[in-house]
Amino acid sequence: MTQTGMTVEHQDVLGFVSKQSPFNALPIASAHYFVNHAEVIYLTVHNQADALQDEEKYLYLVRTGIFDLVDTTGEVVTRLSSGDYFGYPSLLTGEEIKNRLEVQSPGLILILPQAGFDFLRHEYKLFEQHFVRAHKKRLLSSHYQERGKGWSERKISKLMTKSAVVLEPTASIVEAAQVMQSEGVSSVMITEGGQLHGVVTDRDLRNRVLASELDPAMPVASIMTPEPKFIFENNRVFSALHLMLKHNIHHLPVLNEARVPLGMVTSTDLLRLQNSNPVQLIGQLYKASSAQELQLLAKEIPVLLRSFSNTVEDISFVGALLSGLTDALMSRLTELFIKQHGDAPCAFSWICFGSQAREEQTLDSDQDNGLILANDISPAERAYFASLGEFVTHQLVACGIRACPGNIMASNELCRGTVDEWAARFYGWMMSPTPQAMLNCKIFFDHRYICGEQSLYQKLTTQLSEISRKELFFAAMATDISTNSVPIGLFQQFKLQRSKDKSKYLDLKTRGIAIINDLVRIYALKCGINQANTQARLKALKAHTQLNKSDIYNLQDCWRFLTQLRLRSQIEQHQLPANCINPETLSSLERHQLKEAFHLIKQAQQACVFKFARGSL
Amino acid sequence: MMRWKLPWFFKHGAAKGLWIEREFVVLDLELTGLDSAQHEIVSVAWVIIKRGKIVLSQSRYMLNRGVECLDQSPIFHGIDDVQLEAGHDIDDIMHALAKVLEGRVLVCHNTPLDWSFIHASFLAMGITTRPTHMIDTLKIEKSKLLRQHPQLIQDHLRLPACRARYGLPDYQSHHALSDALATAELLLAQVNHLGAQKHIKLNALL
Repeated sequence: MTQTGMTVEHQDVLGFVSKQSPFNALPIASAHYFVNHAEVIYLTVHNQADALQDEEKYLYLVRTGIFDLVDTTGEVVTRLSSGDYFGYPSLLTGEEIKNRLEVQSPGLILILPQAGFDFLRHEYKLFEQHFVRAHKKRLLSSHYQERGKGWSERKISKLMTKSAVVLEPTASIVEAAQVMQSEGVSSVMITEGGQLHGVVTDRDLRNRVLASELDPAMPVASIMTPEPKFIFENNRVFSALHLMLKHNIHHLPVLNEARVPLGMVTSTDLLRLQNSNPVQLIGQLYKASSAQELQLLAKEIPVLLRSFSNTVEDISFVGALLSGLTDALMSRLTELFIKQHGDAPCAFSWICFGSQAREEQTLDSDQDNGLILANDISPAERAYFASLGEFVTHQLVACGIRACPGNIMASNELCRGTVDEWAARFYGWMMSPTPQAMLNCKIFFDHRYICGEQSLYQKLTTQLSEISRKELFFAAMATDISTNSVPIGLFQQFKLQRSKDKSKYLDLKTRGIAIINDLVRIYALKCGINQANTQARLKALKAHTQLNKSDIYNLQDCWRFLTQLRLRSQIEQHQLPANCINPETLSSLERHQLKEAFHLIKQAQQACVFKFARGSL
Repeated sequence: MMRWKLPWFFKHGAAKGLWIEREFVVLDLELTGLDSAQHEIVSVAWVIIKRGKIVLSQSRYMLNRGVECLDQSPIFHGIDDVQLEAGHDIDDIMHALAKVLEGRVLVCHNTPLDWSFIHASFLAMGITTRPTHMIDTLKIEKSKLLRQHPQLIQDHLRLPACRARYGLPDYQSHHALSDALATAELLLAQVNHLGAQKHIKLNALL
């Protein structure tokens, strides 16, 4: 201690470094080493160009300030703030740094020279893993960003290369083959009176004609696939892929709103998009040969989502993507279960509720699902579905989709049942408007078919639309909605909630988005709209008179705005509870918009109570 | 004020050179009082800036085990007699400091005060080494603030207040090493807010 040359520790810096990952999981000696070998720089817009251009390579750890890492095309790769590292890809690979920094808010950065980085890498396995993983993630996300650009906006109509090639059902097989040859296509649509009846493909000519030695003079209707799957021109490419992969088909007719065939989308058309990763991932999910493989693939979902949310214009697409991936997981898990335990003893269908049904799932969303069983099921046959429900929900948890705290999962006996049993449950909730029953209605009335026997699901929806016509039920729902208030005070001030560590926040989900969902649901039920997605319901409501057009547009805008903010809160993560933001982090324009949105929701709430509860409050 | 007393400054006179090419010793002292004629140095700490970077590994912190009268000063710096026993002789400390100041620029927050104590010590020990230049982060801040608001509140020039204006983190105050690092970071912030550091001359800071 008496050496004048003694090196000393900077306690404040050490305290900071030892709290950062991976040092918080390593022996304290690692943080000591870092501090004793690091240097400190201060970056502003004036010297940002010098950073990363040093002859020597460094690991950079942000102490204060906010910096954007920008790639050669000018795209922001990531935003860095206190505790974030950069510069490590070059330390790991030895390649030159191509990205540059843009200072958003000036601040201090700790820099560790390559030699120090290498020492820590060799000394601590966890340190090495941390940066190798971070590097992989960065690669993945910039990869996704590149390929994902503009992908979501692409409509099916943009993908069709040829106009519709159609034949009457009475045409002969030979004629079909000749038309396909002259048009240079691999499939033909069979129409009658302009409406699609079936599809004939190359493969049908081989399998159903040549291999079966069928007379080519027979009408083409005898070999067509009747009532084929199809897609509308305005649907997204994503939906087409989903359908094709799910049903293992290579040709998908494209129809306009009037259901007139416009053309065909083939798997070859989509091959050109093969590099779009959501598509690959869904494809891999449907092909996974084991639950373990699914779990591995599911790990990519958060990375994919994060990079995607930066590039898509329509924010609702992110929720749809995540729901689509969950659907894919559930279908594949069901198939894997059947492979292992044999065919189901009777018809069944998977159904989902809540956010998955509304297609607004987030990474925080939990499971809400159930099984519809055939009415003629025997008590002994129910055991099969108990294990199926148990298996799928359990595996979903392993894939990162949380178990439902309210136990709305097919592993719960109350979430399995025949069409009649389900209908009776819904009826029970509607007739006894207790708070719990109202809560159930909110969750269960947002439902969507996933896989299995679709007719069971249709039977259930038909029965539901018959029973959900009771005035009393709507009055109770409207009253229930009005008990949830928007966080705006008397003088247009935000009413903030406080977390345990005293930071203030606004809950965008329960006190904003959920109220819109509730409002839209009640109108949709009233109008008998069989859709679960809030935006789709609002669109459908335009054809009804329950809500006027400007109210519909307002709710659409509010919903989009709040969803966008919510997604941003999830990606930026300000250490607040999930789905919450601190309004002080918003720009003044955003704060103004947020107040306006809450104000509009409040008005819509009051109108809803007046309409359904007759102002009985 | 300091210059006529310290003519050796001009011998080194390269103040036209770029700041980034100079090396800086950013120093802080904890004292038993404010008068170099009667009060003593309790602890000395410095950090080094080279090529615009604070080199943490070259920081030093030493306690003067020869302090005769701590008096009321532990209220501020929290150092007691027990800790002092583990310290160094003031002679060793000052010789180490002299060595490190050779050819470098001295930086303090309120340099006249710290330098008055160092100068007195150096004189008493016959040390003739002097820094090439002296920079005062307080003075830099003061002239910057005066340009913005003619009315200045003295509290605005205290180290934590200066740091807060640049968004620098809170440190434990009145620990010589913390304050030395805090001053060094403040200097980096001040310099880099002036413009591109590649072009900033040392005399812009004097």
